[in-house]
Amino acid sequence: MVIRLHGATINNGGVGMKLLRVDMSTKSVRFEDVPAQYMGLGGRGLTSIIINTEVPPTCDPLGPQNKMIIAPGSLSGTPLVNTSRISIGAKSPLTGTIKESNAGGTVADALGRLGITAIIVEGTAPEGNLSLLRIDKTGEASLVSAQEHKGLRTYALTKELFKQYGEKNAILCIGPAGEYKLASASVQSSDVEGRPARAAGRGGMGAVMGAKGLKAVIVEQGGKSPDAIANPEAFQEAAKAVAKAIRANPMSGGMMPALGTAGLVAPVNSLGAFPSYNARKGVLEGWEKISGEAMAEMITKRGGKTTHMGCSQCIVHCSNEFMDDKGNYVTSALEYETIWSMGGMTGVADLDTIARLDFLCDDIGVDTMNTGIAIAIALDAGYRKFGDGQAVIDMVEEIAKGTELGRIIGSGPVAVGKHFNNPRIPAVKGQGVAAYDPRAMQGNGVTFATCPMGADHTAGNLVGEYLVGALDPLKTEGQVETSRNLQIGVAAIDCTGMCFMAAVALVEGEGAQAFLNAINAKFGTQLGPADIPALGIRVLKAEREFNKKAGFTEKDDRLPRFYYEEPLPPHNKVFLMSDQELDSVFGVLEE
Amino acid sequence: MQAMVKLYGTLGKSVPGYVHADGISVTIPEGGKVADLLSALNIPESQNVVVVMDGRILTSNETLRNDVWVNVMQSLHGG
Repeated sequence: MVIRLHGATINNGGVGMKLLRVDMSTKSVRFEDVPAQYMGLGGRGLTSIIINTEVPPTCDPLGPQNKMIIAPGSLSGTPLVNTSRISIGAKSPLTGTIKESNAGGTVADALGRLGITAIIVEGTAPEGNLSLLRIDKTGEASLVSAQEHKGLRTYALTKELFKQYGEKNAILCIGPAGEYKLASASVQSSDVEGRPARAAGRGGMGAVMGAKGLKAVIVEQGGKSPDAIANPEAFQEAAKAVAKAIRANPMSGGMMPALGTAGLVAPVNSLGAFPSYNARKGVLEGWEKISGEAMAEMITKRGGKTTHMGCSQCIVHCSNEFMDDKGNYVTSALEYETIWSMGGMTGVADLDTIARLDFLCDDIGVDTMNTGIAIAIALDAGYRKFGDGQAVIDMVEEIAKGTELGRIIGSGPVAVGKHFNNPRIPAVKGQGVAAYDPRAMQGNGVTFATCPMGADHTAGNLVGEYLVGALDPLKTEGQVETSRNLQIGVAAIDCTGMCFMAAVALVEGEGAQAFLNAINAKFGTQLGPADIPALGIRVLKAEREFNKKAGFTEKDDRLPRFYYEEPLPPHNKVFLMSDQELDSVFGVLEE
Repeated sequence: MQAMVKLYGTLGKSVPGYVHADGISVTIPEGGKVADLLSALNIPESQNVVVVMDGRILTSNETLRNDVWVNVMQSLHGG
């Protein structure tokens, strides 16, 4: 083990998979072999199991005992398509639970090609001290001062960093919100165009990064020391079959390239489940104006891109480039959850305003979802009127300025609810819900309540099950089992770096077999279909174990009272799932 | 009967001249069902189509009404 002081460099030698430990207290970096207990893990599995092993569960999330883990998927950096999700984990300052938030972009692929299994950021720098972590394509890692970048927003920061280090780099960074250590602060990830437009938005990972004094991680692309593939020929064959399945799937090969996730605006509104006006209604008045179809038409007219590659290795191209009416770039990519949080929750049925808000959140470095919900709670309390787009823009700008109101908004829905004395806070364990109202999609309420990381749309989203007619979204039957199975499946997929938008083609049939073949060829294993859920269960157990040690109990796995008491128009249903049903989601795994 | 239909996702592209703001009026037998509508629109099942009326997903045997919009869309998963 070799230790180097701040400013010095170290090389991983390019042999075998390595962990890179970065101590912000001593400004030192060191590579070490991957311990046996972490072998074969990647992404969320690695972040969660390292945190459960190494982080004291009751520690201050913004203190030196917390650790921030940056882990590419176990398949990132291989030739397999769509494996460029980067997982960022820590104890969350937003929820107090274990947290993993993953994002697309280019950094997972860059780290994978260097054979870096994870970066573990430990300790905290002295207050006000900022550094950059730089890793070049030979595997040399170093911490350098970032004092000159203090206070920069992410677009300006990445522009300077690309100028300084060259365009062939992948960047993770924080904006002012992260430097303020606000609980909604995101970690932004650079896309293939070099824009910091992808976000690990949830759980305040940007605040943890800010507390550590780390402004950015810059990884040079083009590394040539990836982990070996055990059976290259079998891997190549499996990779071809995976790509074929993704292209052939109607969603990953059709809808996603055409509309992206914004294609969900129409079906979720049509089903009365689009939480609007701080979750007072299930349909947004004028939702057609912010639908995926309307967005695609607008982008096309303005010379933008409706089909855009945002992440390394991607063949789905669900991203887009949104332009203003003069044809100037506004943001990338405008996605469903942001259209909902900044449009539905605030009552702003205007894509130009929503796109501007998306850009601002990326630039300031805050979660669009938590921020839209926080603002909606303030509007609901009468601070400004629903539908006042300029007021919403002004409120987001307050975050960047670091004003008292801005810091409250940036601290998330619970902080805003307390400030404005509004008990209608659509959040679980402090994290804002996602764009599917639990009263009109009961199973999504099950996932929001029981997910170890607070309300989370990526953890086990049942909307697809409703749309294929497998379940009735308004009834209780089948919701617990489906939520459980999806949470287990997603926890496993999140270990690999595979994007969910591609993974939909790999859950059954030839696609599933090809994906399993790729995993076995990569690691030289003989895993069968049952081993995939087993991995997901292992991850979930570690996450729940950490939370239990941190003081969380089953009573925390509940939705806010108003979901049980206020019927949601147009179906006028409440959340119907009992406490016993919620407790049975994971209870069966722990018997 | 005439069913008032709006097409979502990429479905509108398969109907020549379709203008989303106007929707489309589709002729189906009196008391026509979802399957009749999809047949009239020439949309194969492989398109994973969902038909929604009054905030509810209809099964292929359910009867359509002519006084409300019927939304035809493609199924999606979210994550």
